[in-house]
Amino acid sequence: MATNSLNPLRHHHSRHHGGRHHHLRRRHSLDSPSSLFLKPTTTTTITTAQSLSTSTTTTFSLSPATSSSSSTAADAATATTPSPSPSSTSLDLLERHLAAKNFRQADEETRRLLIALAGDAALKRGYVFFSEVQFIAAADLKAIDGLWRRHSGGRFGYSVQKRLWDKSKRDFTRFFIRLGWMKKLDTEVEQYNYKAFPTEFMWELKEDTPEGHLPLTNALRGTRLLSNILTHPAFADAEAEGGGGEEGEAQERGDPAIKKGGLLKGLKGENASSSKPQSERVFKPDYSF
Amino acid sequence: MASLLSSQFTLPAPKADQLSSLSQKHYFLHSFLPKKTNPAGNSSKSGVKVKCAVAGNGLFTQTTPEVRRIVPERDGSLPAVKIVYVVLEAQYQSSLSAAVLALNKTKRYASFEVVGYLVEELRDANTYKTFCKDLEDANIFIGSLIFVEELALKVKAAVEKERDRLDAVLVFPSMPEVMRLNKLGTFSMSQLGQSKSPFFQLFKKKKSSAGFADSMLKLVRTLPKVLKYLPSDKAQDARLYILSLQFWLGGSPDNLQNFLKMISGSYVPALKGTKIEYSDPVLFLDSGIWHPLAPCMYDDVKEYLNWYGTRKDVNEKLKGPNAPIVGLVLQRSHIVTGDESHYVAVIMELEASGAKVIPIFAGGLDFSGPVERFLIDPVTKKPYINSVVSLTGFALVGGPARQDHPRAVEALGKLDVPYIVAVPLVFQTTEEWLNSTLGLHPIQVALQVALPELDGGMEPIVFAGRDPRTGKSHALHKRVEQLCTRAIRWAELKRKSKAEKRLAITVFSFPPDKGNVGTAAYLNVFSSIYSVLKELKRDGYNVEGLPETSEALIEEVIHDKEAQFSSPNLNVAYKMGVREYYDLTSYATALEENWGKAPGNLNSDGENLLVYGKQYGNVFIGVQPTFGYEGDPMRLLFSKSASPHHGFAAYYSFVEKIFQADAVLHFGTHGSLEFMPGKQVGMSDVCFPDSLIGNIPNVYYYAANNPSEATIAKRRSYANTISYLTPPAENAGLYKGLKQLSELISSYQSLKDSGRGPQIVSSIISTAKQCNLDKDVDLPDEGAEISAKERDLVVGKVYSKIMEIESRLLPCGLHVIGEPPSAMEAVATLVNIAALDRPEDGILSLPSILAETVGRDIEDVYRGSDKGILKDVELLRQITEASRGSITAFVERTTNNKGQVVDVTNKLSSILGFGINEPWVQYLSSTKFYRADREKLRTLFEFLGECLKLVVADNELGSLKQALEGKYVMPGPGGDPIRNPKVLPTGKNIHALDPQAIPTTAAMQSAKVVVDRLVERQKVDNGGKYPETVALVLWGTDNIKTYGESLGQVLWMIGVRPIADTFGRVNRVEPVSLEELGRPRIDVVVNCSGVFRDLFINQMNLLDRAIKMVAELDEPEELNYVRKHALEQAKTLGIDVREAATRVFSNASGSYSSNINLAVENSTWNDEKQLQDMYLSRKSFAFDSDAPGAGMTEKRKVFEMALSTADATFQNLDSSEISLTDVSHYFDSDPTNLVQNLRKDGKKPSAYVADTTTANAQVRTLGETVRLDARTKLLNPKWYEGMMSSGYEGVREIEKRLTNTVGWSATSGQVDNWVYEEANSTFIQDEEMLNRLMNTNPNSFRKLVQTFLEANGRGYWETSEQNIEKLRQLYSEVEDKIEGIDR
Repeated sequence: MATNSLNPLRHHHSRHHGGRHHHLRRRHSLDSPSSLFLKPTTTTTITTAQSLSTSTTTTFSLSPATSSSSSTAADAATATTPSPSPSSTSLDLLERHLAAKNFRQADEETRRLLIALAGDAALKRGYVFFSEVQFIAAADLKAIDGLWRRHSGGRFGYSVQKRLWDKSKRDFTRFFIRLGWMKKLDTEVEQYNYKAFPTEFMWELKEDTPEGHLPLTNALRGTRLLSNILTHPAFADAEAEGGGGEEGEAQERGDPAIKKGGLLKGLKGENASSSKPQSERVFKPDYSF
Repeated sequence: MASLLSSQFTLPAPKADQLSSLSQKHYFLHSFLPKKTNPAGNSSKSGVKVKCAVAGNGLFTQTTPEVRRIVPERDGSLPAVKIVYVVLEAQYQSSLSAAVLALNKTKRYASFEVVGYLVEELRDANTYKTFCKDLEDANIFIGSLIFVEELALKVKAAVEKERDRLDAVLVFPSMPEVMRLNKLGTFSMSQLGQSKSPFFQLFKKKKSSAGFADSMLKLVRTLPKVLKYLPSDKAQDARLYILSLQFWLGGSPDNLQNFLKMISGSYVPALKGTKIEYSDPVLFLDSGIWHPLAPCMYDDVKEYLNWYGTRKDVNEKLKGPNAPIVGLVLQRSHIVTGDESHYVAVIMELEASGAKVIPIFAGGLDFSGPVERFLIDPVTKKPYINSVVSLTGFALVGGPARQDHPRAVEALGKLDVPYIVAVPLVFQTTEEWLNSTLGLHPIQVALQVALPELDGGMEPIVFAGRDPRTGKSHALHKRVEQLCTRAIRWAELKRKSKAEKRLAITVFSFPPDKGNVGTAAYLNVFSSIYSVLKELKRDGYNVEGLPETSEALIEEVIHDKEAQFSSPNLNVAYKMGVREYYDLTSYATALEENWGKAPGNLNSDGENLLVYGKQYGNVFIGVQPTFGYEGDPMRLLFSKSASPHHGFAAYYSFVEKIFQADAVLHFGTHGSLEFMPGKQVGMSDVCFPDSLIGNIPNVYYYAANNPSEATIAKRRSYANTISYLTPPAENAGLYKGLKQLSELISSYQSLKDSGRGPQIVSSIISTAKQCNLDKDVDLPDEGAEISAKERDLVVGKVYSKIMEIESRLLPCGLHVIGEPPSAMEAVATLVNIAALDRPEDGILSLPSILAETVGRDIEDVYRGSDKGILKDVELLRQITEASRGSITAFVERTTNNKGQVVDVTNKLSSILGFGINEPWVQYLSSTKFYRADREKLRTLFEFLGECLKLVVADNELGSLKQALEGKYVMPGPGGDPIRNPKVLPTGKNIHALDPQAIPTTAAMQSAKVVVDRLVERQKVDNGGKYPETVALVLWGTDNIKTYGESLGQVLWMIGVRPIADTFGRVNRVEPVSLEELGRPRIDVVVNCSGVFRDLFINQMNLLDRAIKMVAELDEPEELNYVRKHALEQAKTLGIDVREAATRVFSNASGSYSSNINLAVENSTWNDEKQLQDMYLSRKSFAFDSDAPGAGMTEKRKVFEMALSTADATFQNLDSSEISLTDVSHYFDSDPTNLVQNLRKDGKKPSAYVADTTTANAQVRTLGETVRLDARTKLLNPKWYEGMMSSGYEGVREIEKRLTNTVGWSATSGQVDNWVYEEANSTFIQDEEMLNRLMNTNPNSFRKLVQTFLEANGRGYWETSEQNIEKLRQLYSEVEDKIEGIDR
């Protein structure tokens, strides 16, 4: 397993001097250099994220050896090739923030990690397109989730959210209200608006911090990204007991996968600060709701 | 900043208990007093509401420019450059901020200070002050897309002052006034629109066409060539302007950074000599295809699709040929500035739902080119897509500037797929929109809802909000979901086969009574459904088991016509268990506040919710449940907080989720779905019309003459409204005594000098009295000696009255979809079309032409006839007869023996080819008009030929089929076919008009005539005194049909005139001097219908400003009654004059009508006082132009005080087919008796009705009009026999007229006893008639009898005990009959 194989792919940073904007002089650099890209071994059958079981995580392993460039030249042109660079996907920083209960920074870092894991194109774009979620290895997501749960007494994390989402009958408005991501307005009819980022969110783990409040995946671009994260095979076993959104407390289960240490373990110790120039390059997304 | 913003909206006011106390109040069913005992609760409730809506400055938006202000740390070593910008598009905010921050970070060249204003914010006085102050030390001013005149003038005033001092002024596409401010060194546009140079001609030309912004783009492309020929210094400045525009349109932080570098380096004196390097603008395609994952923008759809096919992130199904394809139309500025989250959201949602997308964009304001280029296959001419959604909110061509609808319609017609125009919030933040009861900002409604409708745009779904701090757009997740699902559902209509399509036809039952199932204005609903189903069956739809006749169809749906509506004997199509209901209906719990837990007792058997209707194959015919609170007057009063009941919700849940309709067809004008509570425009998740319609495409047959309510259906229930024709009109004709009178008059004319004159006159007088004409014509006593001259005058007046009755148009019978009128049936309509001058088309009316031939001016003849001058009455009759004769002759010649028009064009050209044979000339040759001008006649008849073709065209079924096949239905205006033949042929997706275009100059002209006549009439009736105040009503439909005549009337009463801007929009008024006016300014109390409020809130704003302006004029009180009353009221109420001058009222947002109509229709009222209280409580919501964001605010005190000064009440009748007793709206809004109660002297105000339905506009008293209406409809055999021939529905129509007559008694007391008496003898005393009525529709007949009894019981009709006894007997008979069959 352990795959986010660490092919140093630094040069992609400089490749697109135009930032994330598409130029009139189009298809300049993208036409040829497929060799610059690392291919996933996933020529396979990625249909939908839902159809993937947790066991398929290895399918996504990237290794320099497998980057046969010939057959998949088209892949290079698509913006979906996952080719995370090693430093950008280290969990060190996240763990440090979480351990220090710096939830605000941990939240930022989680988002950054998600983008990095989604691949080069997502990095350039500054956000993850919903269909890229399937390329994120289950183990990676589980690792992130595991850290959140561990450092929050099981109150934060994607799997927690998944369970609450199911309980909300997968209705995002109900779900957001439950998570404390929306606030009630004082109007004649009962209605809710998104909370403003970051001031209106709760960055501490307190009694009244709603379960699942963090990490935050905003709905600026709708709910499909979050929905794909929550339906990712990584969280297939986080389903509420009884399924189908029954109101009933699902049992909190220990997740052995997390204990095993997550797939990013090997990255520990890498220099986490190397992500810095990167975030500077990315047109910084605004996460306010 | 953030804290400020949030605090405005967090009012810790728990009000739930107040609400529930209100909803509990229906215990006091028969007293309206409790409402008064609870003023505190009431006002505090509205207080809370107002607070959240109005926060702060009372304007629509509370955002401030401070979020856009960047003040750098002072660094003494660097020169300071201050930039002030004003934009419509908040998307520039984040990009510009990023650019400035980046520049300051380099700490080179200069330190940049920037502050930005959104146009809309400049309304706020303080913000404007800050703006002016900011300009005082600014170096550079930038403006873009400033197209709202009021605000453009403010910008202009402020910038003009500083223009010379400013180092550079850059204005990108905006109104010419603002464009002229441009200044870049020697480059200036101050000559814009005047200069002869080709350079400026470019701008000038575009000013008058749609492509203003596009021409700027073209200029950008072509200019480099032109520049070579300019002197070098000038060329340099012009070149920099062009570069600026390119930078601006390029929009990215990088481009804007270079832009600022270039401008400050070149024009800020402190930086002169500093060489500031900047890169050339990074250019993007002007238009093309964009996808967030694509490596580049495409300008070729094939390339885009190729790329799409290589995507690895999506499955084969999405890429395959069977996925629905949705086209998206995007604004380039959002893409290049990086403010595209909302676009990405829609793309993700669509793809995740299995639809392929082709998102196209354009940088200019004309999207028609890109639509044709990228969405239509150039070879097959077929669309690549199945439906298209514009996410720009703008009209397809012209954006916020000048639109070109014909161009848009042409492009969309070629595309031929459903066209949805969704709306991103522009002028409001998300929270402001959510908090507002109005919903979408009125300016945005005008620009982004009303204008796209003229292109045939549907479904104005607000899908994106705006963040108050960053100005960026963001998705509204549930709205996006709904928009995308609906777009796919529309696309599916294009893909599914006819045989598998499922259609839910929804009929109405209003008021709720079995006799009313299948109600719709002018429509024979079941015959129409039958004809639609037959056609659909023939066309390949599965309509299994359709019965043989339409009667059998009614039978099967209603199951048992005799049964009570509330009994489950209407055919039950589905029983929905409570658990299932809650599962299917996500918003069900929101209904519990009003209705308790499901199932409740409406549309329910106590355990299940019942869906009434019947299924035939894939077609379901269902009965829409009613509002549900008709029988409950307390609910009528407080229906502001009402909601649909569970049965109503269950119906739509059934249609969408159990029956799984591909489309719902609402059948006829109109149901209650679109009138359910919610925002006016721009529904949110919690607005009921939106929740109810869910994801079902909605097609709605709507009467062509009712564009205003059709628009409500369009906006609130996302309907594709397909127009149907009202039944062909006929002349009312004469009957009984009236016919005798006309015979007597003609013998008087031949014998008047023979000595028998006096005798005939005395018969005329006695017959006229029998006909109750004595109220309308001043008749001398019988036998009194009168001179020959007086005799002529008496006969002339009676004659004129008779003619008026005879020639009145009435729609006869009910229309059946798919059965257009025969040519001969169209004659009366054509005669009326021919009676109007159409100077804009160079067409003279037939009466004018004819009058001319005998040396008269037709206006003169009208006036003489009105006065009763016998000679003129006679001449007018001859003209009318000749008009009818010549048009009949013309129609006969163009039709076949079946009475259908055949090939008008050919016939016509053959006719026109041989001048000698012109049928109208032939006809006229035997009359006194034989010398009529043939050239003018020919022009007129060519036009009439076109109209005839349109009248008889049958497009109603065709358009429905198109809609169901997922095609584009041609849009067209609704209105009166006589005034505006463009309404024809019916079967169009009807729309209203550009709300900012009214009143037009022509409408203003007509308005003056009516106001002058009204004032004259009132002076005559009121001892030569001018009325001080007129209370009047503004209707939506009326103003659409007449292009704002009644709006113009109000302006003219108070003595102001509208001023149109460069684009022809009316946003300003100025006072007319008292000298020119020649009379005092008359005060007004304006009651706007709920529909007018929804459609014309900008015009309400305009009116309120005009009235306040007039109240503040320094003029003597006796010449300015507005001021006089406002001063008095200000003193009494202790408020300032401006606030006291509140005269523009309507319902609270989201509520319609005074509900007096419902109370009258259901007989659920105690006394008139109760009705008046309803009126006051429902209609006392004022619009305040000083705090427009507050929406409608209750101001009952001022409303009452203003009404108490009224000397006259006034309404307009705009078209022949809707008159006073045809609909309940007119009496519903009549305040005559109310005013009498409010007046200190208790005097009854005069009540007038203007009738502009004919070329000869009339102002009559209300009493006269009610009589005229009764004579031509309810009591006229031609009318009621016409109705009876429609059977079941016809009886209901008769009953409705009588009920509405009682309504008039209740609100105005202007119904004469004889009207009821005559009605009684016509319908009750005539045994044969009585039996026909009873057998055809017993339920409606019972209501008729009940109404007679009610009229008597309430003291509106005095009659013999015998009559009453008979009615009582009949009532129990019919009751037994109905009950008997029930068991």
